[in-house]
Amino acid sequence: MAKPDHQAMSEMRVIEDAEQRGRTDLWPFWRKAYAQGDPLPRLECKLSRPVHRFDEGDPLPEEYKGLLLKMLRHEGERAGNKSFLGLMGTCLEIAEALFPTPETKLLKAEYLAEELKHAIMFHRLAVGLQHDFALRDVPYAHYSFHLPRETWADDAFFHFFVDLNGAFHSRDWRESSYVPLQKMAATVERDELGHSEMGYYFLTEICQDRRGRILAQRILAKWYPAALDMFGRSDSPNAPKFIHWGLKSVDNAEIRRLYKEYVDRKLVALGLDVPDERKNRRFL
Amino acid sequence: MSQIVEEIRQAYARVGITLDQPAAYGTYYRLLCAGCGRMVGNVGDKLLPDMAQALVDEQFDLYASGLLGCPCGHQKERTRALDGERWKQAQQPLGA
Repeated sequence: MAKPDHQAMSEMRVIEDAEQRGRTDLWPFWRKAYAQGDPLPRLECKLSRPVHRFDEGDPLPEEYKGLLLKMLRHEGERAGNKSFLGLMGTCLEIAEALFPTPETKLLKAEYLAEELKHAIMFHRLAVGLQHDFALRDVPYAHYSFHLPRETWADDAFFHFFVDLNGAFHSRDWRESSYVPLQKMAATVERDELGHSEMGYYFLTEICQDRRGRILAQRILAKWYPAALDMFGRSDSPNAPKFIHWGLKSVDNAEIRRLYKEYVDRKLVALGLDVPDERKNRRFL
Repeated sequence: MSQIVEEIRQAYARVGITLDQPAAYGTYYRLLCAGCGRMVGNVGDKLLPDMAQALVDEQFDLYASGLLGCPCGHQKERTRALDGERWKQAQQPLGA
């Protein structure tokens, strides 16, 4: 049964209040990043295309709905997606087993809380789109979600790269033709950018000493190709369809190029050497 | 056990790390120190073919120098037993 608007608003205020009380000098990491201006590049469609706009409950063209569901399957952050909850479970275990201080463990707990907020938001979106999708288990298919994490530095790279991928996609959703996604895009983008900044903060700490920097440089070779591979093949046949329907603004090659510019600048600032962009790549 | 999971299990067994029972609805596995049982990480079951072996090989000198692996030193000892010469080389540049 749908809840009245005023009740839903009240629930959001409770969540916002909880988030406010969780603020520290560091958390949420997005605050400092956005205070210095827009941290992410603009993703602008340079092709001529028809204008589409669909809201919850509107009849959707079959191809459009198929593409939207495909996109949301990849995104994965749904309360009803067992595999997402499992991934979150691994994050907790990593924090318990490998994180060095109570402060870093608490930051990871804040991260978990925020991802679970997204799981509620995407759950609502899924229910509005197709009821049986809300409970569908969709394991993350991309290998970047499955790379071994054997050190705090692995987890730091996981957040820096993988959550940033989410921030870039969310940035694109600001212009999405699917209204429920467009409405939540700014919040998800901001949070995911903050999660990436959390990983970057950890990397900054790790690179303070020589052994940490050596470790970070070595395992960067594992994470860098995976991060670039996450955007898919540059010649993906679906990309023009996503753009045509207003579900994406740019193709895989362009978003990867902008992402690479962003991460390379930050890696250099850490004192790390940027790996060869073609080495160990699986999806060019 | 899937082919990929078996590949992961074999790759880690060489350096003294045991793949635990599946956790998190069967998608992820804890990595446990084969010496003392402590959790040393986790891994998912959707690595690409041959990826697990390559990743563990790449990390040989990190285990050898103690930058990766359990604080009990089991992986450090295992890598020394596996390839003494490579193990010795790994000690110097990493400052271990």
